[in-house]
Amino acid sequence: MKNRVQAILLVMCSLVIATGVIYADLKKGYYAQAELGSIRQAAPVELLSDSNYQVSVYPVPALDLTPGDGLQDVQIYCNTCHSPRYITMQPPLTAATWEVEVNKMNKTFGAAIPDENTQKIIRYLQAHYTAESRKQ
Amino acid sequence: MNAMERHFSRRDFLGTLGVAGSGIVVSRWLAPDVAIAQEPGRGKAIETFTGPGANPHWNSVGSYVTEPQKVPLILLTDRPVQLETPRHYFRTAFTPNEAFYVRWHLESIPNAVDLKSWKLQIEGNVSKPLALSLLDLMNKFKPVSLAAVNQCSGNSRSRLQPRVAGAQWGNGAMGNAMWTGVRLRELLDIVGIKSGSLQVQFQGLETGQGPEGLGSNLFLKSLDLGNPVLDECVVAYLMNGEPLPMLNGFPVRLVVPGYFATYWTKCLTWIRVLDAPDENFWMKTGYRVPDTPRGNTTPEDVKAGKIRTVPIERFPVRSFIISPDGFSKIPAGMNITLRGIAFSGFGRVNFVQVSDDNGKTWMTAKLGEDHGAYSFRTWEASWTAKSPGRYSLAVRATDERGNTQPDEPVWNPGGYLWNRIERQEIVVGNAS
Repeated sequence: MKNRVQAILLVMCSLVIATGVIYADLKKGYYAQAELGSIRQAAPVELLSDSNYQVSVYPVPALDLTPGDGLQDVQIYCNTCHSPRYITMQPPLTAATWEVEVNKMNKTFGAAIPDENTQKIIRYLQAHYTAESRKQ
Repeated sequence: MNAMERHFSRRDFLGTLGVAGSGIVVSRWLAPDVAIAQEPGRGKAIETFTGPGANPHWNSVGSYVTEPQKVPLILLTDRPVQLETPRHYFRTAFTPNEAFYVRWHLESIPNAVDLKSWKLQIEGNVSKPLALSLLDLMNKFKPVSLAAVNQCSGNSRSRLQPRVAGAQWGNGAMGNAMWTGVRLRELLDIVGIKSGSLQVQFQGLETGQGPEGLGSNLFLKSLDLGNPVLDECVVAYLMNGEPLPMLNGFPVRLVVPGYFATYWTKCLTWIRVLDAPDENFWMKTGYRVPDTPRGNTTPEDVKAGKIRTVPIERFPVRSFIISPDGFSKIPAGMNITLRGIAFSGFGRVNFVQVSDDNGKTWMTAKLGEDHGAYSFRTWEASWTAKSPGRYSLAVRATDERGNTQPDEPVWNPGGYLWNRIERQEIVVGNAS
């Protein structure tokens, strides 16, 4: 009897010890505000049974362009044909490539940006969106 | 440590278990080979841009955005809309419409199409021009269905070194759908193409702010009338058995099996037979590739003006590892399933190989159901890592014409035709 009690106690102690070993590195209950947030769900849209097939507006999320000389020119002229997100989407381009890209808008795509403003846009992109200068 | 992060530290745990602090336990805990567990990380957001090196991620790095009729997709640009499909939607052979990538060229794209007034116009150098409503297309012609991959010419552009300007796609500018509609050939046959005709041009509903006659005003693409692909083209009004999302070209889009998506005109409204070659920007300047093997060249040769270019056409053979995706550690000894897709614009993929040693040795993967020569074909392979460590998985597909994926990069100024062997780094941990 005494031996049986000892045996049971031994088994129980081993279980406690074993549990400690198995769960030694278990991590639980960490919650924190983090960079990865949430995005809202789209609400169902009202549809009519007529012949017109319509969708909501295409959303334009807020965009942070680096502040600096020429930013206003970018916002006015580039924004005519496309959103300035075309700038931030690019990898850092060389100063020479930015010049080619902006000149292409005038020469190939007929943007007709006045010379002075074209130069300001080129200088802005070179100042903030090359490998050496890009921060965001 | 703030209140939200309260937790039992390792030390507290040792304290509470003090009574059980037998020699075995302590030695196990304090043994130098036992890794000290790290505090859980903060789940950081991805960087906002990549470069000047290659984008190291499977997808591009933009934020998720919810556009009409779509689940959250990866934003490249908002006006016009360019959205990339996240990797996990490629676990199946058919890509859901609501997750299908989006690429427009010009900013004025339809928010609404009224089917009372909308007609598909077939015009130009023809004897009997025709205007067909969607109902005409659905009722007056025999519907045909075909599974076909739609892949952007610039898919994976963010891999190129040096980087080139343009939409910085990761690998998700592609999708596969079952397209149903009318054979283009049937439509061309009934309008009576006049002799001397050379090309057929496609125009959709998108327009831009640029002056008339320039590429910033209209997006136009053409195919030669002698091109046999015209016999395979479909004017599709169904995508995976549903109407097309507006962003994917409602009410109809052109399907050009095996060809890059630049020819798959969305909101197709004009089919125009031409008696002179189409010299608009999108044919003469845009979407051209060097006339070299794989369309490969160098910045130096381009600068020296040595490169002759031709319009981009069919996409080369490619394959992808979809899972594992590298976000989960895999216990050594666990038998897992590697999964992915393969496709080629030159014919059915009939051979896929997987490597777990960075491409030194290869094993044959099991192919999924064959949905046709132009479809994604899923593949899978059973795999067990015997020991912990870092593994570089690789996948390589071969099509029925014997085209296979090289391990060398491609470079051309447009950032097109990338089809190098894909890799996935994974970490295997101890299972005991």
